[in-house]
Amino acid sequence: MSDEHPHDMGGEPGGRIDTADHGMKFWEKQANALRNTLTSRKLVRLDELRRAAEDLGSRYYELEYFERTTAALRAVLLEHGFFTEAELAAKIAEVRRRYESA
Amino acid sequence: MNLPSAYTEAPARRFNVGERVRVKASEPPGHRRTPHYVRGKRGVIERVCGTFANPEELAYGFDGEPKRVLYRVRFEQRELWADYRGPEHDYLELEIYEHWLERA
Repeated sequence: MSDEHPHDMGGEPGGRIDTADHGMKFWEKQANALRNTLTSRKLVRLDELRRAAEDLGSRYYELEYFERTTAALRAVLLEHGFFTEAELAAKIAEVRRRYESA
Repeated sequence: MNLPSAYTEAPARRFNVGERVRVKASEPPGHRRTPHYVRGKRGVIERVCGTFANPEELAYGFDGEPKRVLYRVRFEQRELWADYRGPEHDYLELEIYEHWLERA
């Protein structure tokens, strides 16, 4: 059972379940919309996103739900070559500058 | 509201409703959606769901061909959990692709 991925937790003790509705932050809605658009246009597949989330290893448990799905989306978009790490980093820096100067 | 059924035809299938099957007790690397707790367990084909692109291939950016037949398989909870104390007629149904099943 050593190769079990983090999603395969059926039958294990579940611990406490948080049933509070935490709503969605603005960025979470944005990220969800982007993910839904990319999957509905079949630019990426839901199965790829699931696999990429499972590949996060121990990070899977450290991240919150939307952080996890967004990290998976980032990984799959890089795999497909829609942009490179360097292009993504440059864009993030550009957006950060714009945001901080506003 | 009546949603259209997601079921598709599966004329080229290995198993039929009512047949006894066993889930492969296999641990291949990769993206597998057959839960560990059901591997090696025996169940009965409850229904044929249809033929679908293989998610184990789609997960790596391939086209999912050849498509695979998906079944709903019924397991006795007592078969799944050694310490299960509920009645015999407690079942768990899981949807499992044909290549994970063998005749039991």
